[in-house]
Amino acid sequence: MSVNQYVPDNKESKYADSARAFRQNVAKDLADEQLRSNFHGAMNYLMDKRKASFPSSDELETLRQQCKLIKQRALVKLPLLLEQLENKLHENGIQVHWAETINDANEIIAQIIESKNGKNIVKGKSMVSEETALNDYLQARNMEILESDMGEYIVQLAKEHPSHIIMPAIHQNKKQVADLFAEHVKGFEYTTDVDTLIGEGRRILRDKFSRADVGITGVNFAVAETGTICLVENEGNGQMSSAVPDLHIAITGIEKVVEFLEDIPPLLSLLTRSATGQAITTYFNMITKPRKSDEKDGPEEVHLVLLDNGRSQAFADEELRQTLQCIRCGACMNHCPVYTRIGGHAYGTVYPGPIGKIISPHQLGIEATKDLPTASSLCGACGEVCPVKIPIPQILQRLRVESVKKPTGSPKELKGTGANRKTTEALTWQVWSFIHRHPNIYAVSMWFATRLRALVPNKLGAWTRVRSAPKPAAKTLHERIKLRTEEAS
Amino acid sequence: MSYKFEEQSKSARNAILAKLKAQVAGADYEKLPEEPTFEYAKQSREQLLENFVSLLKSNHAEVLPIKEEEIGAVVVKQLQKRKIDSLLYNPNAQYANALASSFGASSTELTLLPFDFNVNENKLNYFNDIPASITSSRWAIAETGTIVLWPTPDEPRTMSLVPPVHFVIADADTLHSNFASLVEQQNWKAQMPTNVLLISGPSKTADIQQTLAFGAHGPKELIVLLLNSQ
Repeated sequence: MSVNQYVPDNKESKYADSARAFRQNVAKDLADEQLRSNFHGAMNYLMDKRKASFPSSDELETLRQQCKLIKQRALVKLPLLLEQLENKLHENGIQVHWAETINDANEIIAQIIESKNGKNIVKGKSMVSEETALNDYLQARNMEILESDMGEYIVQLAKEHPSHIIMPAIHQNKKQVADLFAEHVKGFEYTTDVDTLIGEGRRILRDKFSRADVGITGVNFAVAETGTICLVENEGNGQMSSAVPDLHIAITGIEKVVEFLEDIPPLLSLLTRSATGQAITTYFNMITKPRKSDEKDGPEEVHLVLLDNGRSQAFADEELRQTLQCIRCGACMNHCPVYTRIGGHAYGTVYPGPIGKIISPHQLGIEATKDLPTASSLCGACGEVCPVKIPIPQILQRLRVESVKKPTGSPKELKGTGANRKTTEALTWQVWSFIHRHPNIYAVSMWFATRLRALVPNKLGAWTRVRSAPKPAAKTLHERIKLRTEEAS
Repeated sequence: MSYKFEEQSKSARNAILAKLKAQVAGADYEKLPEEPTFEYAKQSREQLLENFVSLLKSNHAEVLPIKEEEIGAVVVKQLQKRKIDSLLYNPNAQYANALASSFGASSTELTLLPFDFNVNENKLNYFNDIPASITSSRWAIAETGTIVLWPTPDEPRTMSLVPPVHFVIADADTLHSNFASLVEQQNWKAQMPTNVLLISGPSKTADIQQTLAFGAHGPKELIVLLLNSQ
C-alpha cells in the first residue's frame, strides 16, 4: 500500500450522538437533585481552593499574560515545534506516531500493543484517550484495559465516562462509590469511609500494576527543546503506568507541545493552582528516554501518539486557534453556572463545560454540537479565570454565528457550518434588518405593530414554553416622546 | 518492523504538518510579543527553608531536620517506630556505610535490602514484600515544598514510588527559591536524564467526594531527612 492511498478512518465518534441529545440530557440531569448537590458542593470547594492559591492578583495577572504568550508562541511555531519534538524524541529513543482521526490513533495503539504481545494494560489518566474511546476499541480487540486513576477507576466500574476533566468521578458521592464497590469488588466490606475505599482501590490497582505489561498515559506538556513528556498528578498512577510496565504508550493532542523547558515552570504553576488550588501536585514526572541498558526499571519502549482530531481545523482560524491554548485545568467548568447546575455528563461530549463547548465543535462537527454554544448566559466567568486567557465567551458567540451562517461549501468552512440555521429565523432577521435600515418602512411597520397588537399569537414556540408571549405597547416610544414634548410645551 | 500503522502514521504526519504550515507560512518569529515574568520578592535562606518545610508538612510529609552523622540512627528509630523490619537502599550511596553500621547496632532485627535486582523480573516481590526505601535527592524547591529526584542506575525511579514508606534525604544547601530558577540555573535543558521526578508529599487523592486520602498508589508516608537546615 503506498502512502498516498491511505485514507483516514473517519467513523463518527460515539460522543456525536450523545452531544446531539444535549437538550434531553439537560432536562434529565437538572431534575436529579443528588447530582446537582454533588456538583454544587464540589464546585464551591474547587473555586475556594483556587482563590486561596492566588493571594496576589499582580502575580496571577502577570502569570496569565506570560502563559498566554508562551502558548501563543508555541502555536504560531506549532508545525516546527512538532518536527523538533519528533526529532528530539527519536534521538532520545522514543518512537513517535501521528494520527488524524480518533480511530487511527486507536489502531496505532492497538498495533503497538499487539506487536509486543501485550495482555494486561493499565491506563493513567488521559482525556485524549477518552476522546478516542480507546477502551472500547481495545476491548473490541479482546484486550483488557484498566483505568488506574482512582476517579477514572470508579467511572469505569460504573460504565460511565468522566464528568470533569480533573476530577472524573465528581458526580458521585462516597455512598454511591461504596455502592459501586459493593457491586463490583469481591470481598468488599461495605463502608463509606473514604480512607478505606481508597485503600481498597489501592490494593486492587497495585496488584494490577505489578502484573501489567503495557502502560498508557496522557501528556500534560511535551517539550520540543529536550524531547520530554511531562505528567502532572497526585496519586502516582501516572508514574506506575509509565515506569513499571515494559511498554509505555503516551497519547496527546498536537497542541500540547511547548518550545522550551523553561516554559514549563510558569505553566505548571498556573495549571495546578487553577485546577485544584495546589502550589504543585504531589508528583511532576518528566520522561525523556526509555530505560537505558544499565538501568533497573522503566519501560524498554516508549511511544508517543500525536492526535489531530479537529485541532488543525481550529488552528486554521486565528480567533478559534486560541482554543488550542488550553492547558486542561478545568477552572472554566468549576466557575461555570451552567456546568454547576447540569453537571458534566449532560454535555454528551468528552470535554464538558465552557472549554468543551468550544473544543467539541472541531472534534464532532457543528451539527452534533449545535446546541452547546447556546447553553451559556455569557456571564464571562470562564474567560476571567482561564489561566491562558482564552476568550471563551467571545468564541462561544463566534460559534453561534458559525452555526447559523449560510454554508458556502468553501474548504475553509468549519465542519457543519449552518447546522442550526432555520429558514424562518433567517428570514425574520433579514426582514428585521431591512426594516431597520429604512426609516419610512420602519415607521409604518411600527404603526401597524402597535395598532394590531391584539393579533400577536399567545403561543410563540420555545419562547412561550416557559414565558408569557410579549405584547407590543399601544404606542411606540417615538409617539410617546412626541406626545410628552407637546404636552410640556 | 513493518506494520500498517507506519504507513498510516507517515501519511497523517504529512497531512497534519502541511495543514498547519499553510496557516503560519510567513510568520515573523522575530516579532513575537515580549513575555512578562513576575518578580518575586527575594527571601532569606531562613524564610525559604521555613516555607519549604511548612509546605511539605501541610502536604502530610514528615520533615526531620538532622545532622549527616545522624542518618543511620534516625532511620533505625523511625523504622522501629513503624515496626518495619527492612529497608531498600542504594549500597553505593554516600550514606550507605552509616546505615549499615546503625542497622548492625540496632536492638531489633533490621535488614538492608540492596537494590540489586531488575524490576521486570521481580515485580511481585517488589510490590508486596518491600515495606520501605531510602533515596537521595538532588535539589529542593522552596516555593512549592518540592524535592527533586534525579534517578540513576543505583537509585532507580520506582524506588520512590513502589515501597509504601519512602525516606528521602534532602539537603538545605540545595534549596532553590522556585522551579523556574532551578531549571535555569542548573541548566537542565543540557542534561535531561531518563526521568526526573518532583515530589511534594506522599501519594494522595481527593477523587472521592473531595475527601483527601493518602497512599493512593504510591507511598503512604514520605519522611524527609533534612540536612544542613540548622
